[in-house]
Amino acid sequence: MRAPTASSKLARYGPLALLLVVLVIVAFPFYWMLLSSFTPREVLFRPPYRFFRLDLSLGNYRELLFATEFLVYLRNSLIAAAGAIVLNVVAATLAGYGLTRFAFPAKKGFAFGTLFSYMFPPMLMAIPLYILFSALRMRNTFTGLILAHMAISLPLNIWLMWQYFQIVPASLEEAAWVSGASRLRALRQVILPSAKPGIVSVAIFSFALSWNDFTFAFILQTDRAMFTLPVGLAIFVEQTAVHWGMVMAAAVLVSVPTFLLVFFLQRYLLSGLRVSG
Amino acid sequence: MSARSERNAWVLGTTAPALVFLAVIAYLPIAYAIALSFFKKTAFNPAMTWVGLDNYRYILEEPDLWRAFWRSLVFTLGAVGLQLVWGLVSALLLNRALRGLTVVRSLFVLPYLLPSIVVALVFQWLLSQEYGVVNQILMQTGVVTRPINFFGGLGTAMWSVIGMAGWQYGSFATLLILARLQAINPKLYEAARVSGAGPLRCFFDVTLPNLRTTLIVIALLRGIWMFNKFDSIWLVTHGGPLKATETLPIYAYRLAFEDFDFGLAAAACTVMFLVLLVGALVYFKLFDPTREIEVGR
Repeated sequence: MRAPTASSKLARYGPLALLLVVLVIVAFPFYWMLLSSFTPREVLFRPPYRFFRLDLSLGNYRELLFATEFLVYLRNSLIAAAGAIVLNVVAATLAGYGLTRFAFPAKKGFAFGTLFSYMFPPMLMAIPLYILFSALRMRNTFTGLILAHMAISLPLNIWLMWQYFQIVPASLEEAAWVSGASRLRALRQVILPSAKPGIVSVAIFSFALSWNDFTFAFILQTDRAMFTLPVGLAIFVEQTAVHWGMVMAAAVLVSVPTFLLVFFLQRYLLSGLRVSG
Repeated sequence: MSARSERNAWVLGTTAPALVFLAVIAYLPIAYAIALSFFKKTAFNPAMTWVGLDNYRYILEEPDLWRAFWRSLVFTLGAVGLQLVWGLVSALLLNRALRGLTVVRSLFVLPYLLPSIVVALVFQWLLSQEYGVVNQILMQTGVVTRPINFFGGLGTAMWSVIGMAGWQYGSFATLLILARLQAINPKLYEAARVSGAGPLRCFFDVTLPNLRTTLIVIALLRGIWMFNKFDSIWLVTHGGPLKATETLPIYAYRLAFEDFDFGLAAAACTVMFLVLLVGALVYFKLFDPTREIEVGR
């Protein structure tokens, strides 16, 4: 065997080293967020900052939960997300069913209109919604926020269900009709159970888009008691002396749903990622 | 009830909720905003006065709009370019190291799905001038002698925002490119190698042509979304310092909620919408995504 030359070594280990660099770039912000969130305030700002430490504490989390309005923001975020999930699931599932099972004109228009609205600039929707909701006294209400969140998630969800119902075979339903079931009963007992993965995807996306939204909540919810997590947390860093350990604890808690989705429900996510572009 | 009218009731009953929601919460506000751009309307005066094209004349003559437009372009091109390069490099590397892919792939899905607020907070902390770990590394390795004011410096703010957007959304490109790479027939590479092509030739003759469509789709879609981006930029810089990162969405936001001139803000949004329309038309023309669903049934 010949001894490996320098260039063949480079060809062998170069990509591996580069891959390592790429992984560090992706992973380091997560690691630093976690580590900072558990680092006590007294040592966090004292350089040099150590990349490993064992003097960790839950102090930042305790302070976040009991000395700030974090729990109020959390409640508001959860209510908005729950509303968005329910309305999206109902509207998108019905639409997906109707659009795949019946022939009617203007379907192409419907498809185009749905996709196009997915690309609308959020600011172009948020400013008129602010004016309209002001006139209707719907600013700083959950109804208003949930409707706004539907504006960003419904197009994608209709699209998802439209695609999903295409792979639920019509023969399933027809078999139920033959055995005497009405269309409604066939829908409830045969179609909906087999469309469940699609419905779960819709629920996940409705949740994620509502949970992640900053722009709409920031513009529509001006009353501190109605802030969602993203809006509430943005204020944490606008003070003069930012308590970074606590801010990182908040960032960790807000990303918990993302972590759960990615590591436990990824198969539902990937179907949606394809649709979202 | 006749079969025909029952069928019509089903069509209406199933599609109406979605249709009404879309019309009322997506299309109505857009129509209202476009109408508003032809009126004088401020937050303090409920009356709307027709002013024709005055709002457009005003903002188009204002250098601020054009500066914001150029910054939007710089941000969009920079962020999309970075995402494409990052996506391509990381996908090619990941494609080689197939083992342990699911864990690694999960890692790459994460940034894309994180709330913008989390990314903004973490990057502000990482890049902080006084306490940031990045500055510490740069100082200790002697790359710089004084800490860099990443988000607060006139010359650095835009690049820092672009870098942050690249980190957050680049993984979207990674995933799409990786999926495409794995779908390339290995026989194509064999054939190329048999005819004497080295790794570089293989890349340019086989890999790149196969990725073309994917790359264009990513560039167009991400371009549209980056051009509209408000939250990431606002959260870390508020458009500053001295408007160095004031892109079109932030410019429109300021007109509406700092100058309280909704008519002008609507005009700025409409200009943004027209730019977006060009991008969307190119996308629909090139790819016709409505093919993904059967509309003929």
